[in-house]
Amino acid sequence: MYTSEMNRLKKTLSLSLCFFAFLSGPAFSHAAQQGFVLLLPTTAYITAGTLAVALTILLLLSFRGNQLRQLFRPRDTGIARSLISPSDWTSFLASLSLALLIFVGLFGPTDPQANLLPLVIWTFVWMALFVIQGVLFDIWAWVNPWVGIHRLLYPSGDSQLTLRSDLSIWPAVLLFAAFQSFVLADVAPNDPDRLAKITLGYSIFTLIGMSLFGREVWLRQVECFTVLFNIIGKMRLFRKDDSLRFGLPGWQALKVDDWDLSHAIFILIILAAGSFDGLHETFWWLGKVGVNPLEYPGRTAMFWTTLTGLFASIWLLICLFVGAIWVGLSVVSNGADPPTRKLKDVLVRFSMTLLPIAIGYHAAHYFVTFLVQIQVVVATLADPLATGWNLFGLGNSRVKVGFLSVPATVKLIWLTQASVVVISHILAVLLSHRIAEQICDRPRDVIRLQIGLSILMIAYTVFGLWLLASPRGV
Amino acid sequence: MGNRENFVLTYQIKKSSNMNRRSALLGLGAGAGAMAATGILPGSLGFAQAQSSAPIRIGFQKHATGIGAAYGRWYGAVTDAAVKRINDNGGINGRPVEVVVEDDATDPGRGAEVLEKFANQHEVDVAFGTLFSHVVIGSAPRAAELKLPYFVVSEGHHVASGNLNRYTLQPGITDVKSQVQSMAPFVGDNLGKKVTMIYPDFAFGHDHRDFFTAAIEAQGGEVVAKIAVPPTETTFTRYFPSIPRETEVIYHVMVGPAVLTFVKELGEFFGPSRPEIFGFIDSLEAVDIRSPGLEFLEGTYFWEGMPRHAQADQADYEKAYRAAVGVDERGASLEDPSDVSTYAHMFGCWETLNIIKAGMESAGYQGPQDRAKLIEAVEAMTDMPASEDHPQGDKIFNGKTHQAFGKQYISKVTDGNLVVEHTASIEDGLYEDEVDYTTQSF
Repeated sequence: MYTSEMNRLKKTLSLSLCFFAFLSGPAFSHAAQQGFVLLLPTTAYITAGTLAVALTILLLLSFRGNQLRQLFRPRDTGIARSLISPSDWTSFLASLSLALLIFVGLFGPTDPQANLLPLVIWTFVWMALFVIQGVLFDIWAWVNPWVGIHRLLYPSGDSQLTLRSDLSIWPAVLLFAAFQSFVLADVAPNDPDRLAKITLGYSIFTLIGMSLFGREVWLRQVECFTVLFNIIGKMRLFRKDDSLRFGLPGWQALKVDDWDLSHAIFILIILAAGSFDGLHETFWWLGKVGVNPLEYPGRTAMFWTTLTGLFASIWLLICLFVGAIWVGLSVVSNGADPPTRKLKDVLVRFSMTLLPIAIGYHAAHYFVTFLVQIQVVVATLADPLATGWNLFGLGNSRVKVGFLSVPATVKLIWLTQASVVVISHILAVLLSHRIAEQICDRPRDVIRLQIGLSILMIAYTVFGLWLLASPRGV
Repeated sequence: MGNRENFVLTYQIKKSSNMNRRSALLGLGAGAGAMAATGILPGSLGFAQAQSSAPIRIGFQKHATGIGAAYGRWYGAVTDAAVKRINDNGGINGRPVEVVVEDDATDPGRGAEVLEKFANQHEVDVAFGTLFSHVVIGSAPRAAELKLPYFVVSEGHHVASGNLNRYTLQPGITDVKSQVQSMAPFVGDNLGKKVTMIYPDFAFGHDHRDFFTAAIEAQGGEVVAKIAVPPTETTFTRYFPSIPRETEVIYHVMVGPAVLTFVKELGEFFGPSRPEIFGFIDSLEAVDIRSPGLEFLEGTYFWEGMPRHAQADQADYEKAYRAAVGVDERGASLEDPSDVSTYAHMFGCWETLNIIKAGMESAGYQGPQDRAKLIEAVEAMTDMPASEDHPQGDKIFNGKTHQAFGKQYISKVTDGNLVVEHTASIEDGLYEDEVDYTTQSF
């Protein structure tokens, strides 16, 4: 916290305190935890995890057509749809909750750790709801906050103007990229007042859009969170049609036939942004951009660097993915059929194989933060306006972070995170194989088509696990 | 005490990390105000007699997010406890104290914005709090522009070096130049005269290198090797062969997540026969000294700003402070013993708030028009004896340099406990004034 010369003062951070590295934005880590992670034999764990993914790929060589199809076949629970359908009132309740949260953001506690708006948005929606939506069930259909209020104000939901259907979800792609920029680069995404104004602005924008262009169309093509949750929802175990069915994550994605390039790019942005979120905290990245990780200069100074890094990551992943698909197509076509002809269609089909990786990394990346912040949410729920209430006795709960300073717990947490990453890659490999089976007529092409993608997935396993094991300076 | 008041105060203790302007006002202020109104508090302690019963508003610039957040959490807890005590004792000039928390995100740009919000939106009386030097350095010029007294708890030398301004003061914690300098007599007399320094290769490490080199030479010792380690380094074995054989003491100030690796590898390098080892607890602030991998530190020495582990002769005022801020005899959270506090630094918040109170009372502070009087009143302070207001120990405040000087502690790791081996006197840490802020106009 000190320096001795003025010219150094400008640049200098300070002290030692960097022993703790909480992340800015919605994420959080604890440096004691990081210190113990550095003492773990993570190289051995990374090797084992990568081998597991590589072995799965090898194992699939011996699979015959029907085996994977059986694996991805859903089972019927027999539970009737009507019993589990979301209704207007749940969404209206969500609208009311959002309005209250915006009020709390604007007029409630100024400390982001005591204000429900940032806590609910980052901890509940961005961390928990994302994973629930991507793994379990369609929670967004129940809690989408813009539907309830809009149905009340505008029951018919008809459009005044027409949104071109050939725009597909490109508007949502742009909005989602903007949202990721806010998460990663904004100076204070946790600031209650700032977040409340942005949430309010986006809500008004969404409600106007739904009114002008039609509720369903707007939600399907523009509203980036509904689009996001619809896309990752294709990885869920459960789906309700006439009754509730469940199967291996990915079974629903295999039935999708109306996605186009915009969906593929959306998925690539989810994965690239999630990966860059991890990467931009590492000593490696900070070293590359000339920032001393022990004197991180703050988000203000890093704004343009982070933004550039985010979009460079998106571009790089798109290139790698297109390259991987192109390699596979080239091998399969063997010069007879130009690979570029099918490239777009095949790329769109295979893009869904990245979804389990994106969801898995999201869950692993935020796991530690979630374990801490969910306690803060509970404690704050007791007294949302900080008026001294103790609703439901929740105020008696304590926020405990000591478990991050216990080596055995840190090891357990790390192995949990790593397992999630490895399992998500194994799922991706299985899904990729099944999609290749659907695309290819000849069995031998199934493997050849995936050559590039398999290499990419193995490399991404190493990368994902390395991110978890790397020292962080943000 | 009625149930309502009892509840409010209990609530505040339990939910200390959530202090904000409403909880401060409605919880502590209104709670204590209600006590005064119902005659539960002695009349002299009640708020009702003040000319204005409007709360004194203190803007707390908190590292709620960003790299300083773990410190921010404990700084917040100590701030809540100190304000509760002040309010329980009648507030400042009979007025309740209200804390307005804003997150500076451990970001200098945001820090300056937060000061503006304090002055223009929240209309606070003074700003207080932050730790990381870049946030202090980024915010201080704005404090001067806003004419907002800015009390920092950053232990940086940037205040006393003359680089800041008349509105920025550091009365509640000593600065690192003083800390490092006061270590040299003990190190030279007891551990050895030939010192090898291992430090991270950036300003923080360089300051330790420069301050200590000068101080140990004044003691007739010498630094025989200076080993600068790049900040991104996560393994250190390759640096250890550079430690000269003649080394009697290793002085280390490594920081960052790789500290545990550093200690482990140092232990593996030396085995049972090692030179004396001296470090700054900053390296292991908030880390249990008994953590696996730190066994090698047994028998080594640390500077501590305030002894983390309760000593056999712990004074009553320190005992009271420990209880108030909710930490046990090992400096860990009473409710979560694995959660070790930032004990060597966080006392600064407690002491600074008590100095703000004393300064305001001495200046007869009524409102923002008296900010200059408040600064002059603090500048006039000199001796601050150890007490419940100053549990870290005796201090002298230098009004010209806006910097406090105090005792420093050297502890030896003994059976996994930090046992104070030596207390450096205030005089050991004094140095020539580098600035006289009182000559600057308001």
